[in-house]
Amino acid sequence: MAKAEAMRRPGSPWTGGFRHKAARSRATLVAIAVFVLLFLVTDWISPGPMTYFDVSFLASGGTTLALAAIGQTLVILSGGFDLSAGAVISLVNAVLAANMSMTDMEASVAEWTAVGIGVGMLVGAFNGFFVAFLRLQPIVVTLSTMFIVEGGTLLVLEQPGGFVAPTLGSFYMGDAVPNLLPAPILLLGVVLLAWAWLKRTRYGLALYAVGSDPASAAAVGISVPWVRFATYVLAGGLYGLAGVFISAQTGSGDPLVGNSLLLSVFAAVVIGGTRLGGGKGGPVGSVFGAYTLMIVVNILLALNVSAYFSSIAEGAVLLLAVLFASFSKTSVLADQIRHGLAAARARSAGLLVAQRPKADRRLAFAARRGAASAGGVELPGLFRRNAETIRYAAPAYVALCLVLIATQFVLGNVLVNFGYWNALFVLSTFLAILALGQGAVILTGGLDLSLPWTIALSGILLAGMVRGSDPALLYALPIVLAVAAAIGLLNGIGVVMLGLSPIVVTLAMNGILQGAALLYSNGTPSGFASPALRWFMTGHVAGVTPVIPFLAAFVIGATVLLGRTSFGRRVYAIGNSLEAARLSGVRTGRVIIAVYVLSALSAALVGILLTGFSGQASLGMGDDYLLPSIAVVVVGGALITGGRGHYLGMFGGALLLTALQTLLAGTTLPYAFRAILFGCVVLAAVVALRERRTS
Amino acid sequence: MTSYVKQLALAAGLTCAFVAAAPAAEKHKVFLSMSYIGNDWQAEAANMVKALAASKDYADKVDLQVQVAGPNAQRQIQQINAMVQAGAEAIVVYPISPTALNQVVKNACSKGVKIVAYDAEITESCAYNVTIDQEEAGRKTAEWLADKLGGKGDIVLITGVPGTSVDIARTKAAKEVFAKHPDIHVVGEAVGMWSQAVARTELSKLLATRKWDDIDGLWMQVGCYTANAMQLEAGRSEDKLVPCAGEGSNGGRIQALAKGTEVEGASSPYAPLGAPRISYASPPYSGALALKLAVDMLEGKDVPHHTTLPLPLVTNDTIKLCETGSWEEMKNGCNTFKPSIVANPGWFGSIFSDQLPQLGLNAALVGQPET
Repeated sequence: MAKAEAMRRPGSPWTGGFRHKAARSRATLVAIAVFVLLFLVTDWISPGPMTYFDVSFLASGGTTLALAAIGQTLVILSGGFDLSAGAVISLVNAVLAANMSMTDMEASVAEWTAVGIGVGMLVGAFNGFFVAFLRLQPIVVTLSTMFIVEGGTLLVLEQPGGFVAPTLGSFYMGDAVPNLLPAPILLLGVVLLAWAWLKRTRYGLALYAVGSDPASAAAVGISVPWVRFATYVLAGGLYGLAGVFISAQTGSGDPLVGNSLLLSVFAAVVIGGTRLGGGKGGPVGSVFGAYTLMIVVNILLALNVSAYFSSIAEGAVLLLAVLFASFSKTSVLADQIRHGLAAARARSAGLLVAQRPKADRRLAFAARRGAASAGGVELPGLFRRNAETIRYAAPAYVALCLVLIATQFVLGNVLVNFGYWNALFVLSTFLAILALGQGAVILTGGLDLSLPWTIALSGILLAGMVRGSDPALLYALPIVLAVAAAIGLLNGIGVVMLGLSPIVVTLAMNGILQGAALLYSNGTPSGFASPALRWFMTGHVAGVTPVIPFLAAFVIGATVLLGRTSFGRRVYAIGNSLEAARLSGVRTGRVIIAVYVLSALSAALVGILLTGFSGQASLGMGDDYLLPSIAVVVVGGALITGGRGHYLGMFGGALLLTALQTLLAGTTLPYAFRAILFGCVVLAAVVALRERRTS
Repeated sequence: MTSYVKQLALAAGLTCAFVAAAPAAEKHKVFLSMSYIGNDWQAEAANMVKALAASKDYADKVDLQVQVAGPNAQRQIQQINAMVQAGAEAIVVYPISPTALNQVVKNACSKGVKIVAYDAEITESCAYNVTIDQEEAGRKTAEWLADKLGGKGDIVLITGVPGTSVDIARTKAAKEVFAKHPDIHVVGEAVGMWSQAVARTELSKLLATRKWDDIDGLWMQVGCYTANAMQLEAGRSEDKLVPCAGEGSNGGRIQALAKGTEVEGASSPYAPLGAPRISYASPPYSGALALKLAVDMLEGKDVPHHTTLPLPLVTNDTIKLCETGSWEEMKNGCNTFKPSIVANPGWFGSIFSDQLPQLGLNAALVGQPET
């Protein structure tokens, strides 16, 4: 479908009439409609009419996000993923603020804009090199870049401060035409016009082609690596421009200013109708997606939504916007309803497959083959059979060994120190458990962003119910796990039944859970872990912390679950091809829902164990686990687009990241260098994972 | 609770007609723009602001609306703009960034809106700031630790959120003090993100290659409670706990009470241990004080642009348990609360301000004013 779409790009003789065009850009049109609707709502509920100044403020408020979202859209159209967007914005802001001179009040706008865009493009070229030419997975390359850039930003500008010349501010924040056209809208207009031109060039055509189907694109003579490289460079330039804009808007520098934009950028792109995985959508929708996200702030204010409810309301708006955008005759929800009705009709007519008499309908040769292999046909050796798994999982362990040796040299007292191994395994437990859930979700081609507050809510619920009493664990643990299962179920239903992007569903869920945690705890989580739970995480039996045998059992169980059960095989089948899996009789919907339940259960388990480890639960206790949970899965050899990866590899990834953090924590290096080193090591680990065949 | 439900219904049904509660004629319209509320300090500070607005002295004066911007500076900029448009007379802000808000704050000032920032600073000169002296906090605590160690020993530092002015001011000041003592060696430094949970994982990483016996002292922005608990878990006796200079969590203060003190609800490690401690804090009442100053200004009083709060320092010598936690009682010098009332040891204990008689323990816990 997407391929056909790429062939019908304007310029080809296939260009249809207006109706065809409208159908093709339906997602974009709906994104615009959603924004216009929210804008009218805002206008209606706000005291006083919308003046030019209100519009001007709204315009400048969303511009940074919109510019970054345009860049991200290009990357996603090419089939990629860019986690470094927020970090680049911070870097450009820091570079400008640190280098502009206080004495030069008339600094040239063009010159500094070029500097900002140039810095962004350099980072983009770095990403592009590894993604396009070394064929590394975008998510892990850009994650490493994010750490490196964040560290670099702190070297450029250690703390908020610096100076940005007012000329920049008056140029970008002023009026292009007084009382008619604010400069930010003109800026976005120019960028979108440039895109409209670019889309019609060979590059634009190639971008959609590469995103839809890289193999076909290569077959028709498109240089896939160069298209990808150019896309990352272009996207970097747009993040750079966003950084310039935020500098103009704030008049100074803050090394953390862009980092928190990252998730909003993805949300904006998805609300704008661009499909993750490439080939479909466009930047125009993303711009309106960005403004939709920003205008929510005004709506919450006008409705006086209480603080604890704001993240819930926001999650709801996010879901509704996407749901609204996705509803049409061909939407998944409509499909599901049609299928359900058809199944009901078939059942009443007695024609449903499940109603046929149960009998062995296997073809005759399937049985023969099984008999033959039992009869002594030699299986290939263990190594041959698992060669692929080993090739993808091994680098994590090789890197782990290197880190351990480095730790021995730098800190000493490691390899033969039992305490070190004990601490390493205890600290790895959290990521190892998360890796199962997040890994299974990633294997099916999804992503679970609701981990942070699933962890925190589980911990807070547990501590609140247990209040230091061991017997209470007996009922508290099942309740917490049941709540988590319900969370996972809702995530899964949103993804499967409503057909929404996993990113949006889980991001919205994360916001809703945050609100739930705040409401439950009234802002101050009370209660604490029971002695048994604390002992489990921090006690010692013959020098071993009790959680370690549990971890060992978990690793074995997880390996079996993903590698040796029919559930595991179905997960891989879906990751390789959803359609093929469905046609082979896998009930894909159920498996995908189960995967999200598994992920939520893993997160809840981590929440419980963290509560035992810390002795209490706190708000925000899960915040530091989201990106690492993705990193360990990918470093362990899993493919973010699904279908490839082994749990043992992910476990290796968890050990590697923990060992690396332990090494860095033992030094007195400044944080900036640690972040850079961390990014470099992760990148180096995956360079070894490189696929050697051409894609 | 029912009002929450109503508001949820309103928020969910975005198209529902919105009926604004008509504020009393002379009430001042004040907004609170918070940043991220997903941590304990923010929630406690918000409770205290709400309690003050609900107190008898202020209920008739202020119409307070609380909004959360999240961790994203862009959204706070937009939020403050929207508040100005909505007719705010004053805006109390927890600024996500000390610099990113400058332009929007300047614009608000030019429209006559008073902007009061608490805890973190806004560098724009027309804003009013309520903070502690972060540099002093770093210096005083480091001096106490150096003193306690007799000027020599190996210490570990756990810092805050990298890239923030507060973290840098505190850490720099502390390091300057330690640099004056050539026999004090910083053997480890980790980023603690101002969270007990992170302090625990970072300390665990540090201790993977070291023993507690190798560490003579700790300087932590947050985490002394956790560090003491970890030492007990590692099998060290209570009299060998290393001196810890750190934050004002209630758990850490309970631990600093002399061993054997009778405390209701205490259970190890949230119990009196006689741990050698100095406890400082960025007090969570600063938001409430910012609201008070904003109202003072609206009533025509003069307020300085910088209000530096007295640094709440508590050591083993000055620690004192409260019975009920009323303002009157805290005025007489108590500064620590019973675990039976404050179940969360990470809860911040520095809630007393002599300028805010409306706020006692219940204000910080559940948002209930004293009167």
